[in-house]
Amino acid sequence: MPTYTRTKVAELIDGTIDRETLHEMLSAPKDLERFVTYIDILQERMSWKDKIVLPYGPKLYCVQVAATKQWTIRCECGHDFCDQSENWKLHALINVRDTQEKLEEVYPRLMAPTSTWQVYREYFCPECGTLHEVEAPTPWYPVIHDFEPDIETFYRDWLSLPVPERAAA
Amino acid sequence: MDTHTRNVRNVQVLGIDAGGTMTDTFFVDADGDFVVGKAQSTPQNESIGLLESSEEGLANWNLSLDEALPSLLTGVYSGTAMLNRVVQRKGLKCGLIVNAGMEDFHRMGRAVQSHLGYSYPDRIHLNTHRYDPPLVPKHLTRGVVERTDMQGMSVIPLREDTARAAAADLIKAGVESIVISLLHSYKDPTNERRVRDIVLEAVKESGKAIVVFASADYYPVRKETHRTNTTILEGYAAEPSRQTLMTISDAFKGRGTKFDFRVMATHGGTISWKAKELARTIVSGPIGGVIGAKYLGATLGYKNIACSDIGGTSFDVALITQGELTIKNDPDMARLVLSLPLVAMDSVGAGAGSFVRLDPYTNAIKLGPDSAGYRVGVCWEGGGIETVTVSDCHVVLGYLNPDNFLGGQIKLDRQRAIDAIKTQIADPLHLSVEDAAAGVIELLDSDLRNYLRSMISGKGYGPENFVCFSYGGAGPVHAYGYTEGLGFEDVIVPAWAAGFSAFGCAAADFEYRYDKSLDINLAPDAPAEQRAEAAKVLQNAWAELTKNVLEEFRLNGYDADKVKLQPGYRMQYRGQLNDLEVESPLAVVNEAADWDRLVDAFNDTYARVYAASARSPELGYSVTGAIMRGAVPIPKPKIPKEAEVGRIPPSDASIGTRKFYRKSGWMDAALYKMERLLPGNVVTGPAIIESDATTFVVPDGFETFLDGHRLFHLRQF
Repeated sequence: MPTYTRTKVAELIDGTIDRETLHEMLSAPKDLERFVTYIDILQERMSWKDKIVLPYGPKLYCVQVAATKQWTIRCECGHDFCDQSENWKLHALINVRDTQEKLEEVYPRLMAPTSTWQVYREYFCPECGTLHEVEAPTPWYPVIHDFEPDIETFYRDWLSLPVPERAAA
Repeated sequence: MDTHTRNVRNVQVLGIDAGGTMTDTFFVDADGDFVVGKAQSTPQNESIGLLESSEEGLANWNLSLDEALPSLLTGVYSGTAMLNRVVQRKGLKCGLIVNAGMEDFHRMGRAVQSHLGYSYPDRIHLNTHRYDPPLVPKHLTRGVVERTDMQGMSVIPLREDTARAAAADLIKAGVESIVISLLHSYKDPTNERRVRDIVLEAVKESGKAIVVFASADYYPVRKETHRTNTTILEGYAAEPSRQTLMTISDAFKGRGTKFDFRVMATHGGTISWKAKELARTIVSGPIGGVIGAKYLGATLGYKNIACSDIGGTSFDVALITQGELTIKNDPDMARLVLSLPLVAMDSVGAGAGSFVRLDPYTNAIKLGPDSAGYRVGVCWEGGGIETVTVSDCHVVLGYLNPDNFLGGQIKLDRQRAIDAIKTQIADPLHLSVEDAAAGVIELLDSDLRNYLRSMISGKGYGPENFVCFSYGGAGPVHAYGYTEGLGFEDVIVPAWAAGFSAFGCAAADFEYRYDKSLDINLAPDAPAEQRAEAAKVLQNAWAELTKNVLEEFRLNGYDADKVKLQPGYRMQYRGQLNDLEVESPLAVVNEAADWDRLVDAFNDTYARVYAASARSPELGYSVTGAIMRGAVPIPKPKIPKEAEVGRIPPSDASIGTRKFYRKSGWMDAALYKMERLLPGNVVTGPAIIESDATTFVVPDGFETFLDGHRLFHLRQF
């Protein structure tokens, strides 16, 4: 199983990695230390010190708040949406594109969906305005809770790492 | 290959295989004696590595370059320079002219190009798929208004002003070459040739040296992306390669040779570096071995041959049936689909340099698909490899002599290999180092064996009808392993296994080949006038291709009357998907009776390649392509013929014993120097026959016999 330098993993995060190494990473069994290195690099780049438990998106994380040991969903800017067990989208700023006019700001006429069949919901950070997620459901569909990882099992059984301490919400 | 004879040799033929890491040379003298030279490749200026390799080889005969080169009659080169130029996208700045509205098709490519050359797991793993940058970027692509349909009808006439504008734009953009490829131009090249002439005019007016290639002049064959890619290769990579080849030819002429080097081409013949169609020299190394096997087979009477070649990175297999090799029409290289006739070969990514790893989840041993290549393995400290390779297992088990790898050019460290195998493989599996290493070798052997078996049976044959030729640096190490129990008629290891590809290059014909797509469809009961008409269509295509072939030879100073022409065609049962290439029994076809002869020849070939009972003529016949091959006689290496002197090897051939591990036990293997064994000698396993560039393993339960042609025959008791 190959191992990779910290620089290569940083390039992977930044999308500047060379094709050959990327292909090897995709094809070979995953190197054991990858997760720890990956998280470590992310942590180093944050303006806050609370421990990243799991990345949720390019600029969205599950973190362990140092003072309380609570797991929260946090924007890169430091804004906490909610406890990890909740759907963070319900705490975001939401822009709903549910008219033909609003949809056609994204796609040209005749290439955009029909607003009675499909709408776009855009979820922003209320503090820094980062667009974290877009969903494209039918108009009446509830807000989707789309990522509910079993973090404890992931740490304990997949990574063989101690599960970070977690206080009840 | 005897080293202690007269010093006045008449060295006649030189074969060169310039690989990515090693440059092999193969010299043959008038008696059929030969030497193999090896040196590290010098990609910056290939002629340096070539001359060094030649010096090294000729030193075995105590000859210097200046003594040997003037007597050479001919030389053939094969190498990877053009392939590398394409892979690294270091070609000329090339412009492309296509139909207006089609400007993106080259950039988009064919979907299969996103995963060509991948291992099977990666092919179905979409995340790994990617597209390489196009050879010609969009901003150097222009469209012209014209449309020829698939029947060859001009649906929209050429708007000549658009062609002039395209030419002017590209010339202004500073291109070094211009390629023209219009839809269906293989059916009717009129519009494409008119565009070509307009571009040529514009180039002339500009006063710049821009080369122009029209697809119809080079590859008048179906499939737009294939045809366009291939024609672009001419403009993008072939012209710079022509310069490289000229440099090599001149470097040798500077040392006394008097001929133009020829280059091994994908169709299995050799062509001059002056050839118009040079793109087909893009890959040539692995083909050399197949041509060599065919030549040996034709000379010695082996009709069915399974050619197997193990190098550092791959295991290549090709079949020769009834003395003929198979030609594939749309191969892929450098992740591009192409329209070149290529000697068909199957390849699997398992070689002596393949990495050995444990799957972290199942603890199963995994071989490859990547490999250490020239860096050998952990056993060579200088290579900087940390993952165990197959070669490490060879060293640990006594297959290879750590002090005589590549004739001692590289010293291997057995202890490093042992330590690496222990920590990476043996300990996690709770095995001894020897058993772990032997397990790896057994796994590789059985993988290769299954692959060889499935390849032969997949084509409807059984191994018992085939002689297996084993060559390449590591072929003879594993010959016993991948042939064991398959029941080949014979297993043959040439004494010059390591230089076999270079030998094959030297044995290839000086041959040009041109192809053209046709669409002739006839019902089984077609009336005589239709059959006569079909024959004439084919004849016209041959006439067109003949002109191209003769022009190539004219460039090399051969008159038409010196050229032996062999027309051919591709035919299939109407409605089937696969065609067969058939040599025409007639030089000229014009009448209904001639057509019938072509059909008979196809039926015979079909019965030979598949089975007589599988023939299916109910719906009639289609001709999908015309082929014209032309050859001129050239000197070829003579195959040695020495008298057999007896079964017992001479005492100076024996060079001691070495511990050798196989099937959970150490044993003493007798060591022999390959060059000192004499015709007629029999060596009984366990034995290891060493040469500078290869090692031939004869384990217990096997024996080998060296015949008068310097071929080892491997037999299992």
